[in-house]
Amino acid sequence: MKPRIALFCACLLATPAFAAPGVMLKDDELKATASAAAASLGRVAKGASVEILARQGGWTQVTSAGKTGWVRILAVKSSAPAAGAGDVLGLVQAGTSKRDPGKVVAVAGLRGLNEEELRQARFNPDELLLLDRYASNRSDAERHARDAGLRPASVAYLPDPKGQQRENRPSSWSDGQ
Amino acid sequence: MKIHAFSVKPILALLTAAALGIGPARAGGLDDILKGLLKPPPAETPRQPTTPTAPTQPAAPTQPTAPAAKPEKPRDQLLKALLGGNASPEEEARIGQQIAGNLLGAAPLVRDDTLQRYVNRVGRWVSLQSERPDLAWHFGVIDTDDLNAFAAPGGYVFLTKGLYRKLRNEAELAGVLGHEIGHVIRKHHLKLLQQSQGIAALGGFLGRKLKDESQVVQNLIGNGAEIVARGLDKDAEYEADRIGMVLTARAGYDAYALPAVLAEIGHVAKSDKSVSLLFKTHPLPEDRLEHLSEAAGDRLDGLPEGQAGEKRFYRLR
Repeated sequence: MKPRIALFCACLLATPAFAAPGVMLKDDELKATASAAAASLGRVAKGASVEILARQGGWTQVTSAGKTGWVRILAVKSSAPAAGAGDVLGLVQAGTSKRDPGKVVAVAGLRGLNEEELRQARFNPDELLLLDRYASNRSDAERHARDAGLRPASVAYLPDPKGQQRENRPSSWSDGQ
Repeated sequence: MKIHAFSVKPILALLTAAALGIGPARAGGLDDILKGLLKPPPAETPRQPTTPTAPTQPAAPTQPTAPAAKPEKPRDQLLKALLGGNASPEEEARIGQQIAGNLLGAAPLVRDDTLQRYVNRVGRWVSLQSERPDLAWHFGVIDTDDLNAFAAPGGYVFLTKGLYRKLRNEAELAGVLGHEIGHVIRKHHLKLLQQSQGIAALGGFLGRKLKDESQVVQNLIGNGAEIVARGLDKDAEYEADRIGMVLTARAGYDAYALPAVLAEIGHVAKSDKSVSLLFKTHPLPEDRLEHLSEAAGDRLDGLPEGQAGEKRFYRLR
């Protein structure tokens, strides 16, 4: 098991550098490897700036104050948008209209969906019929999953953490201030 | 925000009395609703009083018989079931259909068959991991540059083209759809209707005659598709996030895809018009991420690594 993890880490580290600035969303322990059982290298406090280096499963490798280790992926948030596909709607484009200005009347060339439009919306039966035509059924969806090699996993729903605190459930991660 | 001052019983009494007092008698019961259900919905907007939308039998002449013995009219059943918190799947679907049709009136489907079929397959697969796998699930990408996603009772799920463009892989799509599926399976919008709009609708109901059940539904949901602009309470959003994450994982995708979308949305300037409705109706992405982090804790540690499905992801032209 251990060597496999090490190998996997090595692979991840070998992938193109992915260093991105991030910020801690909560206090977390910095682990030597991507595992809850790994040795602790210290703590990183909520709000601390980190450098995000890699990802493995539910863990993110970060550098914080000169120390490099792993924290849970949900404990850290990247502070810059991912490069690439996601930027289509970025601010840069928001100001420039791609559309024929004579055709669409919309602020900054973007077609939005505001509350007033929603309130005024009229029932559109044709679109509803079209929607119906696109519907998938169980076997169609299962075929898609099979073709994609998706393997269903058994995962329990996550309880509401608020209710959980009331129950005084012990937990290894809660920083409980 | 929540209206607790009213209890359901007196409302029902009032309602029954009102129903008997006004409406022209209409034969048939739930069957009428069912008949209307699987067919294309009325072609006219329900608010136009001139168009008869369902086959209407001539009003039974006069003499009200014993109130208890009379079969309830569809509209009364619907309203009562909703206010009582036990709408049948058919009634639920009928309400969802009205909301979906109205929403599509505000923003039509993106004209891209491949996209729409793809989103339906992914969404249907995710829905199969829920406890309501056999609802009549419908998924659609609507043509607006806003960043948002919507759900309506009975299995209607929409995301905007703007949000779709932000997605980087199929797992992220599954995560967004999973969140909306969460709203549907926990009946969040039905609860919202019960809590607030139901009572407001009753006022409207008492005030004027409603011709048919589609008017009842419209009256219940308010104007057009405003219900999707009204927003649920924070806890419902957090619950949907937790469900979305789990359904994504169950479906074999990367469990952390929904959080990745939230982080990405968090990078859009709060002042950007494309997120104003989203941020008005949802907790801020940072808060949602924090909540997910707390909820997940170490519970997902043993999870097999899911797929991102980046190559398979259908990209908009």
